[in-house]
Amino acid sequence: MIKFENVVKYYGNSKALDGVNLDIHHGEFISLVGMSGAGKTTMFKILLGEESVDRGKVLIDGIDISEVRKQDMPLLRRRIGMVFQDMKLLPARTAYENVSFAMEVCGFSRNIIEKDVPKILSIVGLGHKAKFFPDQMSGGEKQRLAIARALSHRPVLLLADEPTGNLDEINAGEVLELLLKINRLGTTVILATHAVELVNKIKKKVITVKDGKIVREQEIGKYNLTSS
Amino acid sequence: MLDSISFFRIIKTGFVNFWRNWLLSSAATMVMTITLVIFAVLFLLFALTNYSIITIKDTIDVSVYFKHAAEEQQILSIKTELEQNSKIKRVDYTSALDALKNFRDKHANDPLITQSLNELNDNPLPATLNIKANKLEDYPEIADSLKNDRYDGFISEINFEDTRPIIERLNKILSFIITAGIILVVVFSLIAILVIYNTLTLTIYNRRQEVEIMRLVGATNGYIRGPFVVEALLYSFFATVITCLLVSPIFSNILPKIALFVNPGISVFNQNIFSFWILILLLFITSAILSVISTFLAIRKYLTV
Repeated sequence: MIKFENVVKYYGNSKALDGVNLDIHHGEFISLVGMSGAGKTTMFKILLGEESVDRGKVLIDGIDISEVRKQDMPLLRRRIGMVFQDMKLLPARTAYENVSFAMEVCGFSRNIIEKDVPKILSIVGLGHKAKFFPDQMSGGEKQRLAIARALSHRPVLLLADEPTGNLDEINAGEVLELLLKINRLGTTVILATHAVELVNKIKKKVITVKDGKIVREQEIGKYNLTSS
Repeated sequence: MLDSISFFRIIKTGFVNFWRNWLLSSAATMVMTITLVIFAVLFLLFALTNYSIITIKDTIDVSVYFKHAAEEQQILSIKTELEQNSKIKRVDYTSALDALKNFRDKHANDPLITQSLNELNDNPLPATLNIKANKLEDYPEIADSLKNDRYDGFISEINFEDTRPIIERLNKILSFIITAGIILVVVFSLIAILVIYNTLTLTIYNRRQEVEIMRLVGATNGYIRGPFVVEALLYSFFATVITCLLVSPIFSNILPKIALFVNPGISVFNQNIFSFWILILLLFITSAILSVISTFLAIRKYLTV
């Protein structure tokens, strides 16, 4: 589904990605681990078409991202859901509106929005908080709302960039459980994190990134910072 | 291409954002109103000056006074000859008798003049031809053509020389006003674009998170830009309405007085110096163009990817 072929990316003189080769299949759950600045977020930005590669290729379902025309980029992004550490929720809109907003801009009809939003909110366990504003919710709830929004346009791939970074252990566990549930429903999930405990707990494929290089790939992985 | 759902959503979002951010919307509308008031006043000044000059130009002519010995037939043949000249708009003949009658009528209430005229045996006034040119700058050439030897026996005087300095000065004023007007409009357009651009940048900056999310969930650039364009058009609409309310007293009170002073006996509206509706339309089109250009420039950096 996703293929990185010898990808090199520079920011000025600094090398953010240094010959990355990676193969991710449909329905996989990948933990992308590494220290801050290792290159995880750069990989996500490239997948979203926000950054271009300096060398190599990135393919999504056989399509080379660098060959996607600018005006077609929104269509590619609609296949990908993105969750951020800072959630990026709209504070002046309710939970329902935060999700429906994302569906509106993707061109879904009113009928589909009215049918889907309550469903998505209940999947993430926020069915009863549809009318709440983000400021009236806990950190874990906010992150679950951000995941709901990322799911609203029915993506085939979900990218989660440090989604548990600002959460306590209980809330982080809930968010992780939710990501596993979404994966079980068929969506490919890539979780970028440096939370050792969580990665070790879920026992899924782990890819370790260090200084812009893939240093280890383990099918049922363990995150070991010291050995990486 | 936008489908109908997206099109109506853009319009609706534009209206909703305009009302929700009413404070910022008011500020943007005020900035645009100030710009439009400057434009409107400039436009009024330009139109009024132009009208005044045209009115004054209309009063200018070349008067040719004929000797008493000149036969009416000869004068009329000169008139026909002059009418063939493409630079001449109109030639009016006033016979010596008509000139005297006009003079008497004009001074009917002045017994001293009436009495003096009665004491004269001969008509002291000559026959005249009043020549109006199509263009102001053609008068010197027309006047020179009348200084021909062929007309020496009939013409006693050509009065153009008296008005030559006035005509030349008017020509200079008119070209200065046109140049200054164009420069002012260009300069104010650039200032307006900069001011509106900054105001809109502030509006867009305020909603940058919304723009970022829209982009990340796959909204097209047209969809993201659309509501901002609708909002900018709303600023233009309200700014035009406020500007019209502010400048309408100039139209209804001050302008007629100036027009009467320049050309007594006319009304601004009857003479169609310009229509108020045309001004409203011009203001709206100007502000809409300025605001849409500014919106495109201001949002550009948020749509780079």
